[in-house]
Amino acid sequence: MKQARILLVDDEVAFTSNMSKILSRRGYDVSSVNDGESAIKAIEDEEYDVVILDLRMPGMDGIATLRVMKTKRPLMEVIILTGHGSVESGIRGMNLGAFDYAMKPIQINELQEKIDEAVERRFVREGRGS
Amino acid sequence: MNDGDDIVTASHEHPGALNKSSYASLYRRFMFLALICSALPLLLVGWVIYLNYSKFASSRMVDSFQRRVEYNRRIVELFLKERASDLQLLALTHSLAELGEPSNLERIFAVLKREDSYFEDLGFINESGMHVAYVGPYDLMDKDYSVTFWFKGLMGSTVYISDMFMGYRKTPHFIIAIRWLDGGKNWILRATVETEFLSSLIGGIKLGESGEVYLLNGEGLYQTNPRFGGKIMDRSPLPVATFSGESGVRILDAKEIAVDQAYPSQVVGYAWLKEPHWVLVVKQDYAEAFQDVNHANTLTLVFLHLSILAILVVAFITTKHMIKVIRKRDEEAEHLNRQLMQASKLASLGELAAGVAHEINNPLAIILTESQIVRDFTGDYPDLNSEFKAELAESLTQVDKQVHRCNDITYNLLRFARRSHAVTEWVDLNACLQEMIGLLEKRGKTKGVEFVTDLQGDLPRVLTDGSQLQQVFVNLAANAIDAHDGKPCGTIRVSTCTSETNQGVEISMADTGSGMPPEVLEKIFDPFFTTKPVGKGTGLGLSISYNIVKELDGVITVHSEVGKGTEFKIILPLRSSGHHHENEERIHGGNCDETGEDLAG
Repeated sequence: MKQARILLVDDEVAFTSNMSKILSRRGYDVSSVNDGESAIKAIEDEEYDVVILDLRMPGMDGIATLRVMKTKRPLMEVIILTGHGSVESGIRGMNLGAFDYAMKPIQINELQEKIDEAVERRFVREGRGS
Repeated sequence: MNDGDDIVTASHEHPGALNKSSYASLYRRFMFLALICSALPLLLVGWVIYLNYSKFASSRMVDSFQRRVEYNRRIVELFLKERASDLQLLALTHSLAELGEPSNLERIFAVLKREDSYFEDLGFINESGMHVAYVGPYDLMDKDYSVTFWFKGLMGSTVYISDMFMGYRKTPHFIIAIRWLDGGKNWILRATVETEFLSSLIGGIKLGESGEVYLLNGEGLYQTNPRFGGKIMDRSPLPVATFSGESGVRILDAKEIAVDQAYPSQVVGYAWLKEPHWVLVVKQDYAEAFQDVNHANTLTLVFLHLSILAILVVAFITTKHMIKVIRKRDEEAEHLNRQLMQASKLASLGELAAGVAHEINNPLAIILTESQIVRDFTGDYPDLNSEFKAELAESLTQVDKQVHRCNDITYNLLRFARRSHAVTEWVDLNACLQEMIGLLEKRGKTKGVEFVTDLQGDLPRVLTDGSQLQQVFVNLAANAIDAHDGKPCGTIRVSTCTSETNQGVEISMADTGSGMPPEVLEKIFDPFFTTKPVGKGTGLGLSISYNIVKELDGVITVHSEVGKGTEFKIILPLRSSGHHHENEERIHGGNCDETGEDLAG
């Protein structure tokens, strides 16, 4: 099975670096950026299967980033991961095409399950698409 | 609010409410106004009318006295004038010889007395004061009248009427004498008027119990027998000086009547006769004369004061009632105000809580990743000291556990802060409550607490959010169970009924637990307020419950009595105003039951 390419977008550097380590150990190809603009740039430069996106970030926030991402890479799956408890923003994210929604702090296993589901769907779609 | 017993409600006391003394001052102001605006004018008008009427009545009384006096004076004057005329007629119609002949004079006297026996005797007297002839019961033939006061008085005029005097006959009498010239000599006819006649003429007039009419001469001696206290020719207790002017009416109080005996105030009417110099007096006790007037006046005053009393009573009652109504309004307004304050407090706290939760969740996530990294990397070194590995694993587990504990708190915070809309459906509240009881029955039993239900069988279904309500019920019931800590047993009575207004349903949960004092009651809906030991509760359960009920357009109230228990009441409308249908339970499934432990009890 093809190694899944994951992009972590979160303004917390400690979080992205830790998460990169953990996910890399679990066999994912992980990159990370710390703001929305860099995230857009990253997906323009490279192709990712799944983006794990924080909603509340300085500058370009999660929802805006998601909107742009979805126009540029419609098939790319996005998991919203946020510390903010707002259901509304979660719902909005889902409506904008996010694959799932999860709350921080999240157990690795739980997150991994979500990533795997997203990757699977991505691969299925890609398979069909190509 | 505190209606006599120890039951306190969530709205027990609040600083904005008017206190008792201000109601008292309001009450005083109302009463004062009522007095100023109604009683006082009435009193003024009443007294003015009373005084005017008294004056009027009194002047009427005086007038009537005046008329009576004048009338009686005319009678007396007329009588005296007629008697003098009688004598003058005799003088004109009879010759000196006829008058001088005693038998003839006797005949003439008989004719005179035929009509009315005014005269007691009749004498024909010559210029030297000696009787020429005399008819009467006394032997007066040899008397010389030339030295008497009346004889002298008659010399200056043609008619003379004397005062009462004793004269030769030694009994009180008065005479009428006329003088005329015939043949160059003075001739005199003298008649004595029956003493009793004058008395009966005016004494016959009856004036109530105390009234009397009499005549006084110029020296204040009775000329007729008075009805009371004295007899003819006695000195009247009222000095003649009292009767100034031609006629008048005077009201004399006891002091003015200068006598030693106790004399009541008198109304005195008087009129001076032209001839002789007598005064006619009509006299009555003041009290009796003004009896009717006084009676009417007393009635007026009694009525007036009774009216004022009635006004006062009515003012008193209406004011009481008004104050009661105002007080109730104030209390309602205060209650509403308090609820608004509570709501806004919760709203701002909610925002704060959301921010705090978010800020804490991020570091928590990092801690969790750190522990995961450590866990992952220790796996890479299988040759590590096993004791160290076990210790490390335990530490990491503890880290995870504490992170989850924090997470629970932030989760509840966010729940509390969330302003999402409810999922509405038709809910059978009875079933919902039964479900809740099923969930908590076992927990209750271990603490000796039993659930008792009193559910209305035909309770209408309610369009509301069942799962949210379930959370509220669980919260309240869990609190109720906890409230029995320190008591061996107890009951929780769960009841439902259609609300009084028929516009909704009422759910009540009453426990027999420890109850809460007012100062605790005031805060139970505040977030983070808990009476439980640190780590046992977040103090968010009731806040969340409050918010849920509010979101569902319901009202939650609490009554508590220390030592006796607490009762929560929820009133829900038959339809909550449903908004968007968002199912948050789908996202945060499952742990609503735990919030129940976080509550104050």
